[in-house]
Amino acid sequence: MKLPKARELVEAVKALVKGPYTSKFPAKPHVPYSSFRGQPKYDPEKCVGCLACEQVCPAEAIGHRDETENGQPKRIIIHYTDTCIFCGTCEQACIADHQGIRLTNEWELSFFDRKKESFESIEKELQLCETCGAVIACKDHLKWIAERIGELSFSSPTLFYSHLKDLGVVDENIISALKDQGRSDRMKILCARCRRETTLTTK
Amino acid sequence: MARREEILKDIQTRFREDIVDFFDKSSKRVYIEIKPESIVRVAGYIFKELEARFNIASGVDARTHLEILYHFSLEDINLLISLRVKLDRENPEIDSLAPVFKGANWIEREIHELLGINFRGHPDLRRLLLAKEWPAGVYPLRADYREWDRNAIRDRGV
Amino acid sequence: MARSVIPIGPWHPLQEEPEFFTLTVDGETVVDIDVSIGYNHRGIEKLSERKTFDQSTFVIERICGICSTSHPFAYTRAVEDIIPVEVPERAKYIRTIVAEGERVHSHLLWFGLAGHFLGYNTVYHWVWKLREEILDVLEILTGNRNNYAMFKPGGVRRDINADDIPLVVKKIDSIVPTLDRLKKAVLDDPVLHARLKGIGILTKEEAIDYCALGPTSRASGVAKDVRKDAPYGAYDRVDWDMIVTENGDVFDKVVVRILEVYESIKIMKTCLSKLPAGEIDLNIKDIPPGEGIGAHEAPRGETFHYVRSDGTNRPARHKVRAPTFMNLPSYRATVIGETISDATIILAAIDPCYCCTERMAVRDDRGRKILGGPDLVRLSQEKTKKLANKMGLQ
Repeated sequence: MKLPKARELVEAVKALVKGPYTSKFPAKPHVPYSSFRGQPKYDPEKCVGCLACEQVCPAEAIGHRDETENGQPKRIIIHYTDTCIFCGTCEQACIADHQGIRLTNEWELSFFDRKKESFESIEKELQLCETCGAVIACKDHLKWIAERIGELSFSSPTLFYSHLKDLGVVDENIISALKDQGRSDRMKILCARCRRETTLTTK
Repeated sequence: MARREEILKDIQTRFREDIVDFFDKSSKRVYIEIKPESIVRVAGYIFKELEARFNIASGVDARTHLEILYHFSLEDINLLISLRVKLDRENPEIDSLAPVFKGANWIEREIHELLGINFRGHPDLRRLLLAKEWPAGVYPLRADYREWDRNAIRDRGV
Repeated sequence: MARSVIPIGPWHPLQEEPEFFTLTVDGETVVDIDVSIGYNHRGIEKLSERKTFDQSTFVIERICGICSTSHPFAYTRAVEDIIPVEVPERAKYIRTIVAEGERVHSHLLWFGLAGHFLGYNTVYHWVWKLREEILDVLEILTGNRNNYAMFKPGGVRRDINADDIPLVVKKIDSIVPTLDRLKKAVLDDPVLHARLKGIGILTKEEAIDYCALGPTSRASGVAKDVRKDAPYGAYDRVDWDMIVTENGDVFDKVVVRILEVYESIKIMKTCLSKLPAGEIDLNIKDIPPGEGIGAHEAPRGETFHYVRSDGTNRPARHKVRAPTFMNLPSYRATVIGETISDATIILAAIDPCYCCTERMAVRDDRGRKILGGPDLVRLSQEKTKKLANKMGLQ
């Protein structure tokens, strides 16, 4: 039966003419399509440190550590590359217009040392309560909220102080003038518990 | 539409003493609760007389009791009938459907080892999914299951 | 004649998914088969109760690599059935496009493997080369060749860019001429007719009794397909045919799968050209207490998910039923009575969601290993060569 053989010959000739189908990786680099979901990367300028990405991650690949000991309180947000499933939920949940963490095109992610290279982290400045020292939120997050709600932020000294300090409108002189016992505790940046105590009690 | 109403009314009259609850959720879904003793009669009727296809059976641990739902689909009228039986937590037992049609064989083995329900009359009730080393009497899908393997590794590796 | 027991499975260094068959043979004929599964049991139903409805979609996606759309599709339909609610039009079309792309991928993969088991290794490599086109299409549309992360209760996660569509259509069109050539080359071949016709027959009564699904039952004359019986997505807005054949042997299963690839390509192109504008997600916030059932026609049959919610943001019970679960017991009907050199192709004919038949060992009564792993595949390939010689074609 010669006829089927002619059909296969067409395919064979095409394959001979075009050359091997495989690419020359790693001699030539492989560039995926622009929509390829690769390694997520943080943008320290845009990220507000709200940890929404950590809450929604299905694989629990994002963690954080708050360091409050020394004079520079900071929040370290860690993304574990080897646990990540590259789904993009963190990017979709990011409150900073989906820019705080974005999926890039990188896919060559192998490393040698699991203890040092299998994660990436950024640091954000942390705002502590001025009375009890508890963690409130990242400074950028408070500014983000104050900007979003506009004039309503004047209902909470925590919010408007953070915003105005950032704008350089308020400084230590104004705050120290109000420092006496009692109600002046209201004019401080406080965590929720201290704010409740200063508003409702006279301690 | 008319055929759907006919079939449902027929089931309701024919098995009047066996039906405990009848929930017509939408045009495609009907949930019928029946007494555990009547499962072979009702399921046999739906499979043989109505020529429905047996989809699967889901065993559920509702906290106060155990339930099994048997799902049958009638493709020509786009209807899915789910038969629900409620079983006692202490000693859950029900008649097996494996002699009626072979499609129920494996799923009853799975429900038996994961939830601890005994199927009377099943030809071959051995383990399907769990390993040989799994202790007897420990049913993973129950709500009060506690992990028993002390040697399992549970860290991230970093 | 002494009876020997051939264990096929479960560990093999070249295998992805394990399974254990015990074939009892009398000479060359198989007289009994026992199937043991459970080596891949990961406790997904229990795990799904610890994740929220949204996060659970990702766990469900990874039940199987090839059916990576089928399980999330059925699961999101089940969650939407609890409320019940319909997703927007554009989301339906996008879901259909991804699901049909996966069907083309899966059937081409199976086609190549069937060629390998029969000894047609050239077909194997050519079909898998063709498969790269559809994987590129899925990468352009969803961002990954597998595990698409597209589904979400309420719609889809990402949109299709209109600029990508011409390239996608060009790639889909390039599959068809090569597939035509391969289809004719395979289906006209007299050696394949001799090897596959009349082998591993599953009659219509047995298919109904075992509740078999998908191409396995459609090859035996049972005309059931979830896409036609309970239409969802864009399947009732597009014109396509259900492929049903009568004989129930392995040859018919090959024919059903190849013709389904053409139908899927037709559906994909129609949906891409008719894609409506609009929202892609309903933004469902709360799932009320209740129960829901969702089904989808995966490449291997009907995938069935049952979800019960108690008002919190986690499922109270999630039952997953893959189509292979209902098809596997039908081995008792198809393999018993056939020879061991046909065993590999019959075991592969239901397209189990794992390459189980490559994991084999043959032992005689005293436990000495006679034949090893690839040897049983080689037996099957040698039978093809013998048949070809007998017919004077080599």
